[in-house]
Amino acid sequence: MTQTQTDQPFDQLPGDLMMWILIVSELLVFGAGLLAFMAVRVTDPAGFALAQDQLHRSAAGINTVVLVTSGYLAARAVGYANAGRIAATRWALLAAGGLGMVFLGIKFTEYAEKAALGIRPETHPFYTFYYLLTGFHAAHVIAGLVIFALLALRPTPRNLQVGAAFWHMVDLVWVLLFPVIYLLR
Amino acid sequence: MQTITRAWLILLALSAASTAVSFNVTLQLPAQIPLLGGIIILLLAWAKARIIAARYLELAQAPAYLRGFSLVLALFMLTLLGLYVAATPFSG
Amino acid sequence: MKYQTQKIALVYFVVAMALFAVQVSLGLLMGYVYVDGNFLVDLMPFNILRMLHTNSLIVWLLLGFFGAAYYLIPEESEREIHSTKLAYLQLAILVLGTAGVVVTYTFNLFEGNFFLGKEGREFLEQPRWVKAGIVVAALIFLYNISMTVLAGKKTAISNILLLGLWLLALLFLFAFVNPANLALDKMYWWFVIHLWVEGVWELVLAAILAFLMLKLTGVDREVVEKWLYVIVATALFSGILGTGHHFLWIGTPGYWQWIGSVFSTLEIVPFFAMMAFAFIMVWKGRRDHPNKAALLWALGCAVLAFFGAGVWGFLHTLHGVNYYTHGTQITAAHGHLAFYGAYVCINLAIISYAMPVLLGRDPYNQVLNMASFWLMSGGMVFMTFTLTFAGTVQTHLQRVMGMGFMEVQDQLWIFYAMRFGSGVAVVLGALLFIYSILVPRGEIVKPGPVERDRLTRDADHVVAE
Ligand code: HEM
Ligand SMILES: [Fe+2]
Repeated sequence: MTQTQTDQPFDQLPGDLMMWILIVSELLVFGAGLLAFMAVRVTDPAGFALAQDQLHRSAAGINTVVLVTSGYLAARAVGYANAGRIAATRWALLAAGGLGMVFLGIKFTEYAEKAALGIRPETHPFYTFYYLLTGFHAAHVIAGLVIFALLALRPTPRNLQVGAAFWHMVDLVWVLLFPVIYLLR
Repeated sequence: MQTITRAWLILLALSAASTAVSFNVTLQLPAQIPLLGGIIILLLAWAKARIIAARYLELAQAPAYLRGFSLVLALFMLTLLGLYVAATPFSG
Repeated sequence: MKYQTQKIALVYFVVAMALFAVQVSLGLLMGYVYVDGNFLVDLMPFNILRMLHTNSLIVWLLLGFFGAAYYLIPEESEREIHSTKLAYLQLAILVLGTAGVVVTYTFNLFEGNFFLGKEGREFLEQPRWVKAGIVVAALIFLYNISMTVLAGKKTAISNILLLGLWLLALLFLFAFVNPANLALDKMYWWFVIHLWVEGVWELVLAAILAFLMLKLTGVDREVVEKWLYVIVATALFSGILGTGHHFLWIGTPGYWQWIGSVFSTLEIVPFFAMMAFAFIMVWKGRRDHPNKAALLWALGCAVLAFFGAGVWGFLHTLHGVNYYTHGTQITAAHGHLAFYGAYVCINLAIISYAMPVLLGRDPYNQVLNMASFWLMSGGMVFMTFTLTFAGTVQTHLQRVMGMGFMEVQDQLWIFYAMRFGSGVAVVLGALLFIYSILVPRGEIVKPGPVERDRLTRDADHVVAE
């Protein structure tokens, strides 16, 4: 009965196994969504290009910079927590979260503009995917902000590593969503 | 400079590059090679995602996982590229 | 048996098995109606048989879950069940409700009565008073089990089991929401039906499976728990938004087609994980537990659930496919193997494991039990194939060629005839199972020289537990 079984392959993964399960699941969902987007696009390239022209490429480009920088700050926060610098950890989290807010601000301005033009998920298949994928992503950004708040309350190195991993996943998804939805044509 | 800072700066440069390329595409500049813009954009996306996985998510510490991730991601991007090409009308 | 109150499970399991026999017998009758459409039409029309078939299935599976909880919670939390009286009161309420349901359906009493008449929504046909009774019984159960767990040791297995059972009861409350708008009616209906079998029941399933693996293979609890968390996380991640695969054509917005397709495809993952879990535990485990029948059912559960729910579910879950197969015999094929593989098998596994202990009969002869596994499972797998072929032909003729429904049904007769044959095997298997559990007296087999030697030398080798 006193058999020690360690799941060797998983032990190499940095951070928490459950967070990796979540990350892989999310990547599968967004990956499938992007594949479906590109597949439906084949049936109507002209319509997709026309619809895509309504989007703000530069605003989304700025958002990429915002999110990537926020991810950088979250990674720094992990470093500070490891060094036991609690105050610095909290400031870095605040800055990362602030940039997350900026991202959401730009995003929702974009949504409001689309809504004002009467563009809805049913308007065109392009917008079905646009709203589904970016909306689902934005929901994760909001979840990330909640996680930052929790991390600021309990800034242990372990918590930070797990929480920051979630935020990096949100980042990772965006750098794939952004070029495929906004830029490819 | 810390690895993580370097990773961030590279990410900024790559993001700027893909946005620049996309504006170029809108202007229809590389008309002779219509797919070039798309290929570059997908390649840049692959590079960005890989850096986030390796540096931000620290997969660089687990090289086997990083290799697996990069490979699956590359296959994924190739599929996207295939669909992208399939959607591009070739005018002969 | 370590705790006296585990005996409660005995009564639950016996009632469950009785209803199991009723359920499959009614299924066999219906199988014959498919062969000869006029069979029993005056005595007991098909719609009533079907209500009884599906309702008795759900009730006996739930009774099995309750029994499993009463059996394993004392062992996990290391104390007696809070109140034996409440446990029997709960059972009495459920039995009364079941009797009420049977009488109401059979004679169609109180048609249209708000409180006493049946409601006419598939699976949720029960009159409101029975639904209220179910809620009361569930509350008694949750109170009883929660009090036990709160007072005792908390393990991952009991926590997940309890979480699953709490959510199961909460989701049932949607059965009371029945708007006049048909699209909304269907939407709430799936909140119960889908979120049960592809959400919270999976938690119950995984917890019972983990308990069995812990006991049967002797693998460390820590390892079992890690797997349990992975299974539960992936089940909830995929299953909740996976509900979208029922919102394809009922009038809900079009984007559900993509949400449903993507998330429900991922629903294969937890079922695959359960299968991997079961086999890896057996492979890693060093304990040579004598209850081979329970192990067979547990492994069979993991495999058949993967095929029935995972593979056969995926078969028609993408909206491009479901557009053609929706509501055909493909659905029936999937529904049968999924329910059997996942929830019937896990119940029969825990019954096979617990009953010898509860009846004080170990070690005992399990050949009959294992034979019933192969007979029943063989029958179910064959039935799945016949229905899948029937569904393929039906989809083509009806949905692609546009032939009329009844005209197509005529073409499917040969498949229905074969399905009836597989049904006979299943009913025989079920009766054999019940017989093997209840009747044969324990032959006290004296350990032979080899076994005696192992017992003295190998501390991990157990006779039974
Ligand atoms: C043990 C788990 C499961 C059970 C017990 C189960 C059972 C059922 C039943 C009884 C139905 C028919 C409902 C009705 O219309 O009356 C059904 C429908 C369906 N199931 Fe499952 N299922 C399970 C898991 C899954 C999984 C994992 C998937 C997908 C991967 C899936 C996909 C579907 C789909 C798409 C339908 C709708 C069929 C249609 O359009 O007619 N199921 N399921
Ligand atoms: Fe479902």
